[in-house]
Amino acid sequence: MNAILVSVVVVNCVLALLFSLGAAPILVWIERRVAGLIQDRLGPNRCHIKGFRLGGLIQSFADMLKLVFKEDFQAKSIKQSFFFSLAPVIVFASAFLTFMVMPFADHLVIGEQTFRMQGLPIDLGILWFLAFAGLSVYGIMIGGWASNNKYSLLGSMRSAAQVISYEAAMGLSLVSILITYGSIDLVSIVNFQGNTVFGILPSWGIVLQPLAGLIFIVTAFAEANRTPFDIAEGESEIVGGFHTEYSAMRFGLFFVGEYVAMSASSALIVTLFLGGYHLPYFNTQILHQHMNLFLMAVMVFVPLMSLFFARWIRRNNRFSAQVDIRNRESKVLLKVLAGVNVLIVVGLALFLIMGLGETGVHIATAVIQVATFAVKLLLMNFVFVWVRWTLPRFRYDQLQDLGWKVLMPLAIMNIFITATVVVVFGV
Amino acid sequence: MGIKIVKREGGSLKDRLYIPAIFGGMKTTLRHFITNISDTSKVKTFSYPEVQPSDITSRYRGIHRLTKREDGSIRCVACFMCATACPAECIFIEAKEREDGVDEKMPEIFTIDVLECVFCGGCVEACPCDAIRMDTGIFSFVALKREDFVLTKERLLSHEAKKETL
Repeated sequence: MNAILVSVVVVNCVLALLFSLGAAPILVWIERRVAGLIQDRLGPNRCHIKGFRLGGLIQSFADMLKLVFKEDFQAKSIKQSFFFSLAPVIVFASAFLTFMVMPFADHLVIGEQTFRMQGLPIDLGILWFLAFAGLSVYGIMIGGWASNNKYSLLGSMRSAAQVISYEAAMGLSLVSILITYGSIDLVSIVNFQGNTVFGILPSWGIVLQPLAGLIFIVTAFAEANRTPFDIAEGESEIVGGFHTEYSAMRFGLFFVGEYVAMSASSALIVTLFLGGYHLPYFNTQILHQHMNLFLMAVMVFVPLMSLFFARWIRRNNRFSAQVDIRNRESKVLLKVLAGVNVLIVVGLALFLIMGLGETGVHIATAVIQVATFAVKLLLMNFVFVWVRWTLPRFRYDQLQDLGWKVLMPLAIMNIFITATVVVVFGV
Repeated sequence: MGIKIVKREGGSLKDRLYIPAIFGGMKTTLRHFITNISDTSKVKTFSYPEVQPSDITSRYRGIHRLTKREDGSIRCVACFMCATACPAECIFIEAKEREDGVDEKMPEIFTIDVLECVFCGGCVEACPCDAIRMDTGIFSFVALKREDFVLTKERLLSHEAKKETL
């Protein structure tokens, strides 16, 4: 045990927590604001602490507080109290554990030590994801059954049937992508995607295996119980589905678990198909070689983006009333933005003048890759939200048709094609 | 009767693929999102308590008011027509003799329970002397106690007609 090992492990755990658990309130906020803007309204923008609304983000924390302090009601008809309480824990824990194997950056080399930048440093990546993603449906089933309510039972049965149909297609689409990459270790999968094909396109999974990518993304939506596959809830048909009988923080765990599962699904999509932590055309070696150039580019790029953002704040984040307390926020935010920019530019300039050294270059690479991963994750989560507010819910039989008659044959066909190409051309 | 054969839509490969339609829908929603986020003043809704609705005309049935004569005295003659016409039975009148010679009767008490009122405008239609109107334009009426929703004669007289802004 040495100090570097401990600090890297702590950083990894904190990152994993931030991306999964910490993302939940942010994702709820994104969901509500994006839904509003798509439907030509504003969404929650009132809740504030001394005038600071952060674009409505405070509302998410207020909602969390509300869920924590509400009465934890349990109907008398619920006989299986233990399983009733266990269900949200299973859903939440499995969604949370799914995220732990996502790599945030390439292997970090400090001195003679090499670290895996994952919350849980194991090389079983995809198997771990499949195991825990499949486990979360047990929570839904137990919850629906223990609720002793016909709507809950219907919801959980639907969910179980859905997961069985889509897990098959998901597993098969993963087989073809694994044949391509030749590994189940997520880090080596991402490193495979750092190269280019034909010298022009980044060899991302979506370029090499577009069909597998499409099938996996569709099944990931079903796996995360998101629209258009959220028949487990189906509030227009079966009240609230499996969580009808739940209230307060027990419901909150289901709710947060859904968003963590969504974040985990996005992370796996990003890792498998969208190049993971790699910027297109910049894999780890290229970043190591051209770190100084890259830092200069960041020094130009960050202030430019901030300028753009500041203009947006000045134009949009204001209120007509002169004495409105919320008008203070823009001024403070602009100052904070300027301060952060000065810090970044001065810090990077210092690094450039003093020289980073080998360890410094490695750490800077890791930081850039974590940032890239975060941005990609955010964009993928946005796609999840965007799809939810575009597409209507599938009817139950259409959903099963799509799963068994379309996605599964396509996935099997894809395996055959991939295997043939790999065997014949030996790539 | 001739038979009109309607061609069924959705049979072509493009329709059955779903994907082009899905991307078309997503393009529409993204366009709305981008337009609205780049300039939030383009959002169709308005921030209600700060921005009041501008489309409330004098024909809007708001909270009632009792009109006055030219000399400023109450126009109502306590004929009970409005209370009779009221389907919600929310108007309570007690008449008294009018002693200033302008007319014979006037209301001693004229209260409207706004919580009971269905805002049908029947009282305005029924009134023979144009003494009650609903043209105040007050669309939001809030109070802390139930008693505060029972509007007295003085309160009703104090309401003014909404000024035409258009």
